Amino acid sequence: MDSHSASSASATPGLTQWGWGSGPLAGWAAPALFVALGYYLAARVGFAFTLQPYPISTLWPPNALLLAALLLAPTRAWWWLLAAALPAHLLVQLESGVPVAMVLGWYVSNCSEALIGAGLVRAFVPWPLRLDSLRNAGIFLFCGAFVGPLLSSFLDAALVSLIGWGERGYWDLVATRIFSNTLAALTVAPLILTWASVDVSRLRAAPLARYAEGAVLFTGLLATCMVVFDLPQIDPHTAPALFYAPLPFLVWAALRFGPAGTAGAIAAVVVATIFGTVNGLGPFAGSTPQETALEMQLFLSAVAVPMLLLAVVLDERGRVELDAREQRMQLTHLSRVAMLGELSGGIAHELNQPLTAILSNAQAAQHLIANKSADPEILVEILRDIIAADQRAGEVIRRLRTLFKRGETQFQRLDANELVDEVLGIVHGDLMTRSVEVVPEFASALLMVHGDRVELEQVMLNLVINACDAMAGIAPEQRRLTIRTRSIEVEDGAVQISFGDCGTGFTPEQYAKLFEPFYTTKPRGLGLGLSISRAIIRAHHGRLWGSSIPGKGASFHMVLPALSTRGGSAVR
Amino acid sequence: MPYVAIVDDEEPVRKALKRLLRASGLEAESYASGREFLDASVLREPDCVLLDLHMPRMSGLQVLRALKAAHRTLPVVVITAHDAPETRDQCLAAGATAYLRKPLEEHELIDTITAALGARTR
Repeated sequence: MDSHSASSASATPGLTQWGWGSGPLAGWAAPALFVALGYYLAARVGFAFTLQPYPISTLWPPNALLLAALLLAPTRAWWWLLAAALPAHLLVQLESGVPVAMVLGWYVSNCSEALIGAGLVRAFVPWPLRLDSLRNAGIFLFCGAFVGPLLSSFLDAALVSLIGWGERGYWDLVATRIFSNTLAALTVAPLILTWASVDVSRLRAAPLARYAEGAVLFTGLLATCMVVFDLPQIDPHTAPALFYAPLPFLVWAALRFGPAGTAGAIAAVVVATIFGTVNGLGPFAGSTPQETALEMQLFLSAVAVPMLLLAVVLDERGRVELDAREQRMQLTHLSRVAMLGELSGGIAHELNQPLTAILSNAQAAQHLIANKSADPEILVEILRDIIAADQRAGEVIRRLRTLFKRGETQFQRLDANELVDEVLGIVHGDLMTRSVEVVPEFASALLMVHGDRVELEQVMLNLVINACDAMAGIAPEQRRLTIRTRSIEVEDGAVQISFGDCGTGFTPEQYAKLFEPFYTTKPRGLGLGLSISRAIIRAHHGRLWGSSIPGKGASFHMVLPALSTRGGSAVR
Repeated sequence: MPYVAIVDDEEPVRKALKRLLRASGLEAESYASGREFLDASVLREPDCVLLDLHMPRMSGLQVLRALKAAHRTLPVVVITAHDAPETRDQCLAAGATAYLRKPLEEHELIDTITAALGARTR
């Protein structure tokens, strides 16, 4: 999985597969079951993370699980999910011998935390919430992981005091609950929210190397956490430095595995740290249970918040870049298609020629057969010519299809002479109808270049069409386009391809604007050809420029770095 | 047998048209360029010319103008794979008898040639 698939904007199978639309009984059964089971297990985890002998849970995940469930569900299903948690709540709390009034009181306060958090988030972000933008993540962290736990902690402590369960004071209870619930909301809820929107098909399609990288990351992170947090008390002077040991792994997760990977990594750090602390190990052990819990919760919250935000920001930026790349690709394709539209007359010429040969040959054969004067050898010859003409028409269509197609850039080893030949094949009809004579001056044994065939042909096509347009105003017998290829033997080598026309040329003032988008001297031009051509050549680490003697003609030159003889591209 | 000269730079087209005209009972010869045709036509004047419009170096239009300049009034049927209204007018103005688009329909071609030959004999 790459950093973008974690929160794919278009596909959210995790959010939609529950079929919320199909009504309470059929479609809502699965989520309710998930919530009930999850709530029960989360409560057991909460109990396991209690600092003995005092009943202070350092991390109370059931509320965070409820919060995540509400955020993933449409508002009309909330009552159903909260109701689904009740049996699990009763089961787990009654097992631990808590009075019924207190059990019900905690159910109310637990639900209130999830409701406050989810309600506030929903007020700002429509369903479904995705942690894929800084705005969404910020709203979630503030409303869900801060305001929700804060407000519900007052209610929780009030209920405990009212019912008279335990011996601790009101504010002591408030403080304990806030941090325990906040840490859970920071850890558990993002884990559920991010993984619920992971595109499973993309996850499956990820290459093995990605899985290996993930395995190395999580193994390294767990090993580091175990050394730092799960070994007997270490020297207090070196302890602060050790806190930073998991950081590189968390940054790695944020950079490479998106919000979902980071939420997973944070959860691993939290579990490892709490496991050590509740077992009297690691740097937090040694103080009173309250102090120990508070120090650890503050540390983990301080790690979780920036890491989660970092992952979300990186993910968002990556997606913006991806969108921009997609748009550039679309624009390049559009301009190519527009250019082929300009060539349509020439293309019709190219197809009509073989069609004429096919039709006239076939009709001649009909006559020969009808007159019974058909020599089999002549018929064989006619059929051979028909096949050849048909193949030629097929070749015209093949060339066009390649250029019409929209696809990812594919870099490969290319011969510039071959590319120019291919381009001249495409524009042959236009050159003919516009009476432009091509003078090829190709260097033999040209160095190979590394590039995308279609994009480089697009640039050459653009330069040829521009040259033809520039010569439209001069006498047909003077319209000459010289195409020169040559190897440049400097440093790692390069290949230069030049297109020189005898048209009107351009002035220095015109040249200054020539490569700007939407600048055109043609009556029906878009003014994108040269700016896109230059972008393509730059993406090939090459250069595209023009030179002109006004009134005598213009030349455009493209230089592409040669493929190094060592096998790789000479470009860096 | 009327003699038709075919002028087209494309060898497969030239060959196919020559076959078709011969199979239709006409005498046909083909030339790869306007210059080649102009040189040969001095020695033997055809009864009709099938002249391709877009050819390198010397276009069909230039051939028409050369014929006109030499005061030769041959019936010329211009054929083109690239149809543009302005070229049609230019050709007719330069003295072409008819203007046909490729691919050529046999009946239309033969009818046009027959009409051109008839105009010449009148």
